[in-house]
Amino acid sequence: MAEMLSFKELLSDLKEEEPDVEERPIIGWTCTYLPLEILEAGGLRAYRILPEPSSETADAYLDPNFCPLIKTSLGTAIEGGYSFLSGIVMLNTCDGMRRLYDAWRYYCPPSFCFLLDLPRIINPSSSVYFRERLRELIEHIERHFGVRITHDGLAGAIEEANFTRSLLKRLLSLQGRGNPPLRHGDIIDIFAQGWRNPRRAFNKALGGFVAQLEAQPSTSPKRLKVMLTGSLLDGSPLIRLIEELDGDVVASDLCTGGRFLEGVVLSQDPLRSLSEAYLEKAPCARMYDTERRISYINQEVKRTGARGVIYFSLKFCDPYLYEAPAIEQALRQMGVPTLFIEGEYTGVFSGGSRTRVQAFLEMLERKCSISRPV
Amino acid sequence: MQHKQTSLKVLTWLVQSPLTYCCLRPILDLLNMREENPAYRIWVRFLLDVTRRAYARKQPVIWMSAFAPTEIAYGLRAVPFIPEIIASLVAYFGWSHRPIALADSHISTDLCSFYRCSLGLALEGFFPRPDLIISSSYLCDGANKLLHYFSQIYGCPHLMVDPPYRDGAAGRRYMVDQLKGLAGTTCKLLDLPLDEGYLSQVLTLSDEARAYMAKINRLRRSAPSPLPGSEGLSYLAGMNFYSLGSRWGVDFFRSLYRYLEKKVTRGQGYLPREKSRLLWLHHIRPYYRNEIFQILAERGVAVSFEEANYLYWPPLDPSRPWESLADKILSNVWAGPLERRIEAIGNMVEDYRIDGVVHFSHWGCRQSCGGAGVIGDWLKERGIPYIILPGDGADQDNYSPGQTRTRVEALVEMLE
Repeated sequence: MAEMLSFKELLSDLKEEEPDVEERPIIGWTCTYLPLEILEAGGLRAYRILPEPSSETADAYLDPNFCPLIKTSLGTAIEGGYSFLSGIVMLNTCDGMRRLYDAWRYYCPPSFCFLLDLPRIINPSSSVYFRERLRELIEHIERHFGVRITHDGLAGAIEEANFTRSLLKRLLSLQGRGNPPLRHGDIIDIFAQGWRNPRRAFNKALGGFVAQLEAQPSTSPKRLKVMLTGSLLDGSPLIRLIEELDGDVVASDLCTGGRFLEGVVLSQDPLRSLSEAYLEKAPCARMYDTERRISYINQEVKRTGARGVIYFSLKFCDPYLYEAPAIEQALRQMGVPTLFIEGEYTGVFSGGSRTRVQAFLEMLERKCSISRPV
Repeated sequence: MQHKQTSLKVLTWLVQSPLTYCCLRPILDLLNMREENPAYRIWVRFLLDVTRRAYARKQPVIWMSAFAPTEIAYGLRAVPFIPEIIASLVAYFGWSHRPIALADSHISTDLCSFYRCSLGLALEGFFPRPDLIISSSYLCDGANKLLHYFSQIYGCPHLMVDPPYRDGAAGRRYMVDQLKGLAGTTCKLLDLPLDEGYLSQVLTLSDEARAYMAKINRLRRSAPSPLPGSEGLSYLAGMNFYSLGSRWGVDFFRSLYRYLEKKVTRGQGYLPREKSRLLWLHHIRPYYRNEIFQILAERGVAVSFEEANYLYWPPLDPSRPWESLADKILSNVWAGPLERRIEAIGNMVEDYRIDGVVHFSHWGCRQSCGGAGVIGDWLKERGIPYIILPGDGADQDNYSPGQTRTRVEALVEMLE
């Protein structure tokens, strides 16, 4: 926790050094398949739409059986919670996101809005198509904001974003360092800071924080390693719950976790680089190929030595709910125990979820014959 | 327990035996003799024929999701099989409880009951084995993911049509490439020849059926309403999904057109006295026994049209099959931005002189229900009475007769 505060302090000091950044138009975004590099190359600030789980306003506008994140986002927008945004860029991630885009435009029309069409299939043809859509996004931004997004500007933004990704990878490798030890929950909270703050200030703060941690030894006791996969979490409560129960989250394959940490390989054509890298990043369940996701999870389990996988899905999240049995079955065949948890976007986990996580960890412990630290 | 298992085995054997469907045909023909609508009889025969062929396995069997183009399956001389349609039939006969309960031990109960019912039927071994599965992604996330899971269960390949969000030259090019690729891969996987001449013939059939659909839709503008919306949402929508590209489709739509033409000429509506006209939104209705249409009929409210039968695509050009199919897919008004669907609803309200609109909000359907609020506000701004009717198309356990009656009666009062 002390590290977390020190990271926040570092960040707040650095933000003050760059007051001009605060004045840039802020664009709200929703899906990690959006290359933020494009917004940043246009001099815009990217801000992830991940509202506080408090608004119930959207219950009157969207169906009751709808993704709680989407309902909260719309409710917050209708209440004026996003009035600081100069526009929104969404993707056709899922049925829910398409409807969020429709309802947002109808009930609180922003001055700039764009839906980026993301293919579900990955092949040369879809990559070309996605590149064309990125080009379309650039044209819309240039026209609306009166800016120019140049080849060099894009290349620079890619390099800056790659730097963030490399720092986050280093941060992940430092889990367990410091006193008290850096936990995965702290890392996820730092990720969240990255989506709300100007990149350059975030990179500087993260660089300083990582350097500080690298100088410290690992103080973490041996715990049972688990991997998290699924849609997205509102902050880190589930991770902290697992940690409180003596589990150690070693990887989080989530939309709010480390799903895109590999660098974009910069070529002569930056848009092509972005198109290929984003399509081929660690997959979300909305993509066509479940086997790719299974293979990614398996690879992460092997890399991190996780003993089990906790699969989390938001309620009413079709891609993750439908895909759950296929993933569970494949992991079972690979000998990886899996626990499925379905939850709300409230940041609070019920006593039932706590008991299930506890039972799962105990089962893993028996299976692995690892004795718990006293 | 043993007795139950034996009964289940016998039932599974009967369902899977092509002979069952040969025997059922004369029996059902006899039972349907008094049915005055000949198109209904064609629907029953079509279902028996396509199901018999799926179990006979003399041709490759391709499972498809509801909006995947069946013309491709017919064009490759394969048998299409649409699990969602079968699930709605199972619900119609009141048999959906058991498969849904079985599926609920595998997937979340918050998902679409048509898919849950399909999963349960597949797990119990009632469905014909697929050689290939094709789904489309533009309308429903569940279609893709569940059909992919089916491909895992049956160990067969799954291909997907992934239409772009927006129409336009780039999207059309991408769509044409996909369709060609899909057909090519299907031929390779199933060891079938790609006969573009035959595919053109199939598109001719599809277009012929389309022409009759356009005529039927024009006839349905008449007052009093000649065809009950409950039937428009059952066999008519079913043939729209399942038969396009087959000879059955042409026969069905021609026959329905002639039947409705006679009714319209005679000024014969399906209600004794039509007081107001309703538009039904969403592709489905509750298929199990329910009171909705009866309450409306008793109060003189006709369900005059349903968006499920809105003809959104332009005539097909059989000499350019891939481009035509791409155009058909890309003109789907339920895909892309909601404005397309709203524009279509506006057209339907005007064309069918609609007095009120009901959106059936099927539990577990995000793509349609997610737009229900905006559509309602758009209609209310134009002074058109509107209700959202929450319910479930296939799972009777989610049907609340009391609440449904209250809502339907509230709409009727608004219309009066």
